[in-house]
Amino acid sequence: MTFLWVTLKDLRLHARDFRFLATLGLFSLSLVLILSFAFGPIFQEPAREASATLWASLFFAGILGLTRALDLESESGGGDAVRLAGADPYSVYLGKTVSSFLLLGALFCLVLPCAAVFFDVGNLAVLPQVAGVAALALIGYAAWGTLFAALARGLKARELLLSVLLFPTLIPIWIGAVKLTHSLWADGTIEPVRDWLKIMAVMDVLGLAMAAWLFEVVQEAGE
Amino acid sequence: MLLVGANGSGKTTLARIMSTMLRADRGSLTLNGDPVEKRLIQSRRAIGFASHRPFLYMGLTPIENLEFFGRLSGLKDARARASRQLDRFGMTPFANTPVDRFSRGMLQRVALLRALQGEPSVLLLDEPYAGLDDDGTATLNAFLEEARNRGTATLVISHDRDRVAPLRPRVCAMRAGTVEDRP
Repeated sequence: MTFLWVTLKDLRLHARDFRFLATLGLFSLSLVLILSFAFGPIFQEPAREASATLWASLFFAGILGLTRALDLESESGGGDAVRLAGADPYSVYLGKTVSSFLLLGALFCLVLPCAAVFFDVGNLAVLPQVAGVAALALIGYAAWGTLFAALARGLKARELLLSVLLFPTLIPIWIGAVKLTHSLWADGTIEPVRDWLKIMAVMDVLGLAMAAWLFEVVQEAGE
Repeated sequence: MLLVGANGSGKTTLARIMSTMLRADRGSLTLNGDPVEKRLIQSRRAIGFASHRPFLYMGLTPIENLEFFGRLSGLKDARARASRQLDRFGMTPFANTPVDRFSRGMLQRVALLRALQGEPSVLLLDEPYAGLDDDGTATLNAFLEEARNRGTATLVISHDRDRVAPLRPRVCAMRAGTVEDRP
């Protein structure tokens, strides 16, 4: 049950940090607003523009969330204390991945209705499929992000290293998310771009498997 | 054992190596005859370490911090144990206040309880009296006396010999990275 304790601890810390949550929410909503004005007022392809806006907003807001989670581990030595407590490293990784996933999921629930309203692509019939695509994308983000955040933890330029490692890794996942969401909103089906689903799933499994193999080494190397 | 020495002599580095936080450039670290790397999780659960940094999550309360770290160490009764220990240190009225609002001394009490809570067989305390008032010092010494009676090997690093004196510890000195068995 170690991973549940780690998830609960992370969620408690985020929930008490109102300024961080407000910044995260305002940042992602501002991105949606700015891009809707940039593409509008008459949208050429609302489904394409809305999906690009949704995933761009989540991509950049997600890095804010991961950086904050990294800071919480570094300040006052909490992350070191987790190591010294003798917890199973992969359980710690899973707990942090689940908490990052839930934070990103909450952000998705905030941004999705705004993007749908601003770009007028609110097709409720495909909402479950869009949620499924989001789950795949956000699992990948959380899995790779948590692994790279642990690697960057002990370094002075940790935010820079996190971005340098994470952004290229997430490209296949994010292109897949944009293409699948666009297809769902435009045609109501993912058939023309179904292969992206497999690519995203492979990237998710790869991230979780790499962490199972590397997380302990990465955690110890952080000092 | 009390370890004394000038600033920069290597006391804190030694404690960090013994706690498994740092790897030594040379030599090996063993616990009960086994290299700690061989059984890292078990070794870490057998070592309690408090240092200059509090090793706590500042957004959590003392009871949440202690329960969290207790659970990670495998303590089933972590919350009940944390409540009892907080009570002994006079911290019950502050048990549900996030530790980022605490003074240095109160933070130090919680940090010490985190190191002590699993009743470890090795206890490493780096400047444990920093920020503690007279009551806090007396309670810490009572905890250390109990630990000694349980057979816990305790290393206290401190410049404040008067506060450790009631425990009548063996005193060693560190000079330029070498421990000498005389003050």
